[in-house]
Amino acid sequence: MKSTSLRKNIMVALLAAIAFIIMFLQFPLPLFPTFLTIDLSDVPAIIGAIVYGPAAGIIIEAIKNLLHWLTSGSVTGVPIGEFANFLTGTVYILVSTWLFRKRKTFSSLISGMVAGTIVTAIVMSIANYFVIFPSYAYFLGFPIDAAVKMAQAANHSINDLFSLVVLGVLPFNIIKCIIISIIAIPIYARVRPRMNLNI
Amino acid sequence: MKLIIGQFVPGDSIIHRMDPRAKLITVFIFVFIVFLANNPWTYGFLLAFTVLGILVSKVPFSFIYRGLKPVLFIIIFTFILNALFTRQGDVLISAGWFQLTTAGLKQAIFISIRLLAIIVVTTLLTLTTSPIAITDGLETLLKPLKKWRFPVHEFALMMSIALRFIPTLMEETEKIMKAQMARGVDFSSGSLVKRGKAIIPLLVPLFVGAFKRAEDLAMAMEARGYRGDVGRTKFRLLKWHGRDTGLLSVLAVLTAALILMRG
Repeated sequence: MKSTSLRKNIMVALLAAIAFIIMFLQFPLPLFPTFLTIDLSDVPAIIGAIVYGPAAGIIIEAIKNLLHWLTSGSVTGVPIGEFANFLTGTVYILVSTWLFRKRKTFSSLISGMVAGTIVTAIVMSIANYFVIFPSYAYFLGFPIDAAVKMAQAANHSINDLFSLVVLGVLPFNIIKCIIISIIAIPIYARVRPRMNLNI
Repeated sequence: MKLIIGQFVPGDSIIHRMDPRAKLITVFIFVFIVFLANNPWTYGFLLAFTVLGILVSKVPFSFIYRGLKPVLFIIIFTFILNALFTRQGDVLISAGWFQLTTAGLKQAIFISIRLLAIIVVTTLLTLTTSPIAITDGLETLLKPLKKWRFPVHEFALMMSIALRFIPTLMEETEKIMKAQMARGVDFSSGSLVKRGKAIIPLLVPLFVGAFKRAEDLAMAMEARGYRGDVGRTKFRLLKWHGRDTGLLSVLAVLTAALILMRG
């Protein structure tokens, strides 16, 4: 029993290291404000969550963001971006594995990921509107109008914080989760047979 | 893919030799007390503390500048925004919609000092403390959380393993990337879907390789008698010295000064 738990801990650590490396390959999406960047660092976390349970996925997200903060510093010194990333990943992992763990089939994984995408997009929109944008504004002494103006350059129908969240953050998170799901499923399918040999 | 992992600059200043616990506590409290400042005196104290930190750490200024470079734009941007959007006080310059007021200028300078102070102090922490020392410090500081069954030791172990294997896995990533490129995979161009697809043949071998490595490492650790944190002895011991108490006293004085002098 003990050895499997050590093995699992080490694997979680290595997945977090992979996630951290992938985090540097982030790129902004076309048509979206530049401060919303997409990266695939949630893929190792979701794989870890599928194989070892949601707690492992959350720990991967936590280590990844902590390392990112420690090694590259944060724009505000206070890790708001890292916190937002952690929150997105955690909500997505919890919802998508919750459905998957009941039946452990591919169709339940896909429906879990669809549900995860929808819930994450809604939760992150609420969090952005009430917590994340206001805290950026607070720590940077940065009027929210400025973020709206930055976003306006990318999309002209954005004219206040509400429309920024609905037209920028909401579709952004949906696209991000869809991309992650599309990439995570084939990877899981190919990695699983090799993982089961060793557990 | 060329990355520098960690900003740590080895050195032998008094700040380098301080206990990571003392430094972590200081940074944590500093980030909060920065918000107490609200007049020229208090912002002056913050600036003095920050400059003193840079001088004592003996970190070459170019390293601090390198840490600041990615956020310099944001600081300048914030400065300009605050200067433009505050419309109180006497008008200094006015040209059409553009208006610079005394209050705006003051606000812009204050916010910039606040941002600079927070960023420089957190950067100093990562410049003078190796990530592994920060992990050790966090492990001891978070120990009380064990009461609520938070696996502090396991978390710290995972952090240090992740830190140890980032360079190794990065090398492996590069090797796989080159191998796949030799087979005709294009990582850097094409549409979003194409790039997404290209990343799958990169991640699969990376995961499988990591899995084998985890297996080997677990075996090696158990062969050497690892059994969790019960009765574990440490190679890197943390020792609390007079200088650590000194750092906390300086911080206490700064806090008191901020509270007394704020308007």
